[in-house]
Amino acid sequence: MAKIPRNFKLMEELEKGEKGIGDGTCSYGLTEGDDMLMSNWNGTILGPGHSVHENRIYSLRLYCGEHYPDVPPTVSFISRINLPCVNQQTGLIDSSRLSCLSNWKRNYGLETVLTELRREMAMPHNRKLPQPPEGSAY
Amino acid sequence: MALPKRIIKETERLLADPAPGISATSHEDNLRYFDVVIAGPNQSPFQGGIFKLELFLPEEYPMSPPKVRFLTKIYHPNIDKLGRICLDILKDKWSPALQIRTVLLSVQALLSSPNPDDPLANDVAQHWKENENAAIQTAQEWTRKYATA
Repeated sequence: MAKIPRNFKLMEELEKGEKGIGDGTCSYGLTEGDDMLMSNWNGTILGPGHSVHENRIYSLRLYCGEHYPDVPPTVSFISRINLPCVNQQTGLIDSSRLSCLSNWKRNYGLETVLTELRREMAMPHNRKLPQPPEGSAY
Repeated sequence: MALPKRIIKETERLLADPAPGISATSHEDNLRYFDVVIAGPNQSPFQGGIFKLELFLPEEYPMSPPKVRFLTKIYHPNIDKLGRICLDILKDKWSPALQIRTVLLSVQALLSSPNPDDPLANDVAQHWKENENAAIQTAQEWTRKYATA
């Protein structure tokens, strides 16, 4: 198989993100529209229903370094959230505690990370965790 | 997996017999990924500039077109802020009879003849249509600022 280089992979992700992914519960885009290196991204997750997160909108920051997608992106929450894989002081996601990051594969993308985080929020052991006030940030 | 013979042939010819003002070299660790340099054509606002691009041959090549992007910032109505190029042969007018060489020659020709009626960068195209001389001046400034080695 042809191995898609970083920039063309990110360009594909950008174009997918611009069109809107899936049911619109997760989205992402470049932080700066003229960032030719495509390193810094913003993401949002709409809190899953039947959980404490319902109707909340969470903002995240995603960073793709020069070795992406051979290495996973660095992801952190901007909105405060109580979730086991999220560092409560910084909002940074502990990659060892999110399986798509700890078992990262080259064909994964930013969408993979956002949708898995949303699934995490809806897990039975997470969906009732007490949460910081809505709208607070790290 | 072995690289298709067509790609090997094209790569060899690009090295042995490069088109004037264009160079394309594949990465050692990914023979479908090329570093491209195009010299700004004479009599264009990009004259004197050295523009870096990247080109990738997807798995389906030559049934699908190569993917090409500018890495050097450029002020051009058919090239956007991220270096994406609006060129019909890179999209619906692609034909497997075209090659890397023909694609790069078309990109070079696009630098000589910006087409603000089929824009990708709307603000630049509008500038070009309203005041062509001023737009050309901006393009020259950007060339000096971003495209000189």
